[in-house]
Amino acid sequence: MSNTTEAVEIAPQEKTKKPRPVGFYIAGGWLAVIVFVGLFGRFFPLPQWDEASFDDLGVAPFSPRHLLGTSQDGYDMLSGLINGARLSVFISICSVVMGGGIGSILGITAAYYRGRLDAIVVTMFNIMLSIPNLVLSLALLSVLAYSDANNPASTSRRVGVLILSLTIVLIPILGRISRSSALQWSSREFILASKSMGSSNFTIIRKHIVPNVAPAILAIGFLAIGSIIIVEGSLSILGIGIPGGASWGSMLANGRGNIAFSPHEVYLPALCIAFTVISSNYFGDYVRSRLDKRESKI
Amino acid sequence: MSPVLKLTDVSVSFNTPRGMLKAVRGVTIELNAGESLGVVGESGSGKTVLSRATMGLLPRTATRTGTVEYLGTDISNYDAKQVRDLWGTGMAMIFQDPMTALNPVRRIGDQLTESLVVRLGMDKKAAREKAVALLKRVRIPDPDAMMRKFPYQLSGGMRQRIMIAIAVSCNPEMLFADEPTTALDVTVQAQVLELLSELRKEFNMAMILVTHDLGVVAGHTDKIAVMYAGDVVEYAPTRQLFTNMKMPYTEALLKSIPRLETPTGTRLPVIEGRLPDPTKDEPGCPFANRCPYVTDKCRAEKPPLTDGGNNHFYRCWFPIGGN
Amino acid sequence: MAGTGKAHMRPDGDRVLVVEDLTVEFKVGKGNVVKAVSGVSFDLVRGETLAIVGESGCGKSTLGKAVLQLPKPTSGSVNFLSKELTTMNKKDLRDMRPAMQMIFQDPISSLDPRLPVSEVLAEPLRVWKRGNQVEIDAKIDELLTAANLDPAVVRDRRSYEFSGGQCQRISIARALTLDPTMIICDEPVSALDVSVQAQILNLLQDMKDRYGLTLIFISHDLAVVKAVSNRVMVMYLGKVCEVGTPDEIYQNTKHHYTKALVGSVPIPDPDRPLSGNLIQGEPPSPANPPSGCRFRTRCPMATEQCAQEEPQLREVSVGHFVACHHPINE
Repeated sequence: MSNTTEAVEIAPQEKTKKPRPVGFYIAGGWLAVIVFVGLFGRFFPLPQWDEASFDDLGVAPFSPRHLLGTSQDGYDMLSGLINGARLSVFISICSVVMGGGIGSILGITAAYYRGRLDAIVVTMFNIMLSIPNLVLSLALLSVLAYSDANNPASTSRRVGVLILSLTIVLIPILGRISRSSALQWSSREFILASKSMGSSNFTIIRKHIVPNVAPAILAIGFLAIGSIIIVEGSLSILGIGIPGGASWGSMLANGRGNIAFSPHEVYLPALCIAFTVISSNYFGDYVRSRLDKRESKI
Repeated sequence: MSPVLKLTDVSVSFNTPRGMLKAVRGVTIELNAGESLGVVGESGSGKTVLSRATMGLLPRTATRTGTVEYLGTDISNYDAKQVRDLWGTGMAMIFQDPMTALNPVRRIGDQLTESLVVRLGMDKKAAREKAVALLKRVRIPDPDAMMRKFPYQLSGGMRQRIMIAIAVSCNPEMLFADEPTTALDVTVQAQVLELLSELRKEFNMAMILVTHDLGVVAGHTDKIAVMYAGDVVEYAPTRQLFTNMKMPYTEALLKSIPRLETPTGTRLPVIEGRLPDPTKDEPGCPFANRCPYVTDKCRAEKPPLTDGGNNHFYRCWFPIGGN
Repeated sequence: MAGTGKAHMRPDGDRVLVVEDLTVEFKVGKGNVVKAVSGVSFDLVRGETLAIVGESGCGKSTLGKAVLQLPKPTSGSVNFLSKELTTMNKKDLRDMRPAMQMIFQDPISSLDPRLPVSEVLAEPLRVWKRGNQVEIDAKIDELLTAANLDPAVVRDRRSYEFSGGQCQRISIARALTLDPTMIICDEPVSALDVSVQAQILNLLQDMKDRYGLTLIFISHDLAVVKAVSNRVMVMYLGKVCEVGTPDEIYQNTKHHYTKALVGSVPIPDPDRPLSGNLIQGEPPSPANPPSGCRFRTRCPMATEQCAQEEPQLREVSVGHFVACHHPINE
C-alpha cells in the first residue's frame, strides 16, 4: 500500500538566481583594489612613501610627478595611501580574524556545554567588554612598546601591540554573538539526533554548530573590519596608533594641521577610510540579508 | 437581515519569484448573526490566507480581488486605519499562538483594560472591574491575582483564555478564531472550545472557526466550508456535511483521521498524491490526481460550485451519492 | 517519592528494555526542583509497540530521552538488551547507541538545514565506519526508497525544501541507518497534517514489520496511539496512571484521568453528544506536585486517602493495571 515517489513535487529549486545588486560589485571592487594594492603596492613604480621630495612640497593632486599630490613635507600621497592600505587592512583583518576566531571558539564552546564553563566565559566576556579600547591600547603600548625621544619603538612593534589590543577588544564582541547563535542551534533537535547516533561532541560542534553559526559571525566580521579601521584611525590621530604617516589614520593625524594649505592631505586618507568602511559594511549587510532570507526558509 | 460577513469571489495571489502564487481562488461564503462557521483545510488549502484577507492582514506582496462585506458595508477597499477601527467592537480575532498575541512586557490587567478604555471609552476603574469580571467568566482562578501577572507566567491554556477574554471584552459582532486550539493539549482544547461556544451564545456573536481538525468543527459549528488548494470544495450545514458527504476529498479526509474506534493494528487509509502547484493554473479539478473516483472529465474541466439543495454546495462532477 | 509500582512488569517475557524506578528531576532557579518523572517503571517486550500517552508536562518526552541517557536520569535503572545503561562508562554507552534510536516531533528541526539529505544519512554510517563510500551510498538509497522517497530527487536537497511529512520520512530513514533494535518515537506525527499522519503511521508500521523493530511511541493523541500500539501506558505529572491494551484502555477505562483524556478527543461526528466529562482546571506545576495521588486535585472521586497515600498499580483485569484508590466501576 506504500505509494511511490511522492517526493518529486518539492519546490523546484529556485534556479532563478536573482542578479546581484550593483552595490555588490562596487563594494567588492573597491575592497579587491585595496587588498591588491595592499599586497602588491610596493612594487608599483612610485616614489617611496617615506621619502620626502623637497622639490614638491604641498603639491596639489594631478600634478605631473605626483598623481595625488604631496604633503607639506614632500611625501607622495598616492604612495602613502598605498602603504596605508597595507597597514590599515593588515591591522583590521588580523584583529578581526584573531579576535573573531578566539571569541567564536569560546562562545560556541560555552554555549554548547553550558553550566560552569558558560558562566565563566560570560563573566570573562563581560569583564573584557568593560575595558575601554582607548585605555587598553594606551596601557599596552606604554608597557610593551614604550617610546620616548631617545628610544622610539619600531613601527612593527607598535603595530603588533595595536593588533593585540584590538583583538582583546573584539574577542568578547564576536564571542557574544557566536554564543547566542550557538545557543539557538544547540537546542535544535538534530543536535540531539547526532548525539543519539553516537557522534562525539567535537564532531557535532565541527559539523553542525560551526557551519550554522559561521554566517552570522561572517556578517558581523565584515562590519567589524570597518569599525576597526576607524578605531585605528582615531587612535593614530590621538597619537597612540601608528606614527609617521604609515597608516591612513596616521596620515590624517599628520595632515590635519595643514588643512588650510593642502586639504588633500586630509580628505584623501579620509576618503580612503570612508570608502573602505562603507564597502565592508555593505558586504556585512549583504551577507546578513542573504543569511536572513535563507533562515526564513528554515 | 444582512449577513454579518459576506465574502464574494475572494481571490488572493502572491507575487513570488516563482510566479503568481494563487493561494485563494474565488471563495464565496457568508456568516449570519449568531452563527458559527467552520473553515476546514490542511496546509496549503488557503484557509489561513483567507482569514488574513478578511481581516485586512495581508502582506504587501498580496493582491486581493473580490468583495468583503461586513454588516452590509463593503469593506474591501478600506485602508489600514479603517480596518483597525472595525476591530474590537466589530470583529475580534484570536490566534493559534497566544504568546505572540499577548504583549510579553505588559501585565494581563493592562492588556485587558486597554481595549475597554480605548474602544468603549470606559474610565479606568470601571474597566478594571469589567476586566476582573471577564476573567471570572473565562474561568480563570483568582482573577484579581491574574490581573497583575505577565504572560510568560502562564500556561498555553491560560493565555488562550486571556486572549478570548480580550477578544470578547468589547462585545464584538463576530469572532475570528484562527486555529485557536491547535497548540493546546486535548483536555485544554475541549475546555476552550466549550468556553467559546458558551460565550458565543451569551453574546450572540457570530464565529468563524478555522482549523484542520474535522473533529473540532463537528461539535462546535453550524456550517462548514471545506477548502482544498485555494477553493471551497464543499460548503454545507454541519450535520448535512457529515451525514450526506458529497466531496471525495472530504470523505478521504474523514477516513484518514485516526479514531478511537479504529481497531488496533489497522492500516489507516491515506490520500495518495500531493497538492497541485499553486503557481500554475492547471485544467480540471484540483483534486483529480488524488481522487479515487477520478474520470477524464474531472481531469479536463474544473467543476463549478454546484448547489445540491439544502444549502449544500459542492465542487464535483460526480459527487458521492449522485447529484 | 516512590513510584506507582511494578505490578505491570512482565519478567517472563523476552524483554528488550526494562526500566525501573526512573526519576528525572531538574533544578530550576531559586532552589525549585521540577519532578518531571518520578519513579516510573515499565518494560518492553521484543516486537511490541508501547505507547506512552499523556499531555504536555506529564514527563513522557523526558522519559524517552532519559531512557537513551540523553541526559542521564537522576536515579533509577535502565536495562537495555540485558545491559545496565545508567552505570556504563562513556565508551560502552556509545557502543550501545546504534541499537537505540530516536525520532523527534518537529520534522524540520530534526534535520540540519545546511546539509543535503545524503550527508544527513551518511553521518551515522561514517561515525561508525560502516562501509566505504560506495556501500554508504547504496545503503542511503535503500533506506530512502524504503521510506517512499525517490533517492535521485531527494539526495542533494536540504531539509527546508521539503514538507513536514517528507522530513519525517527522512528522519525515519536516518533512524534506521544503524539497524537499531529499538526506536523511540517522540510525538512523530503531532506536527503533521491529518492526511499526512496516516502516511507516516503506516510507514512506521511497515518499517517495524520489515526490520523487526521494537517501538516506544510517545504521543498526546489517544486516537493515534490506538491505531498503532499493542500496549498503552498513560502518564500524568510524572507518574504512571494506567497500563493496558488499547482496547481495554478505551472500552474499559479505569483511571479517571484516562477517562477525561478519552472524553476530550474531538470526534468528527455531529451526532455524538459533546461529552460532559470535561475536567476543569489545569495540571499543577511539576515543581510542586500534589501529595499522594497527583491527579487528586482535578479528580471527581478524590478522597482523603488519595491525599495521604500514593496509589500503586494493581491488576484489575488480565493485563490491565491501574494506579487508583477508587477506579471506575469498582
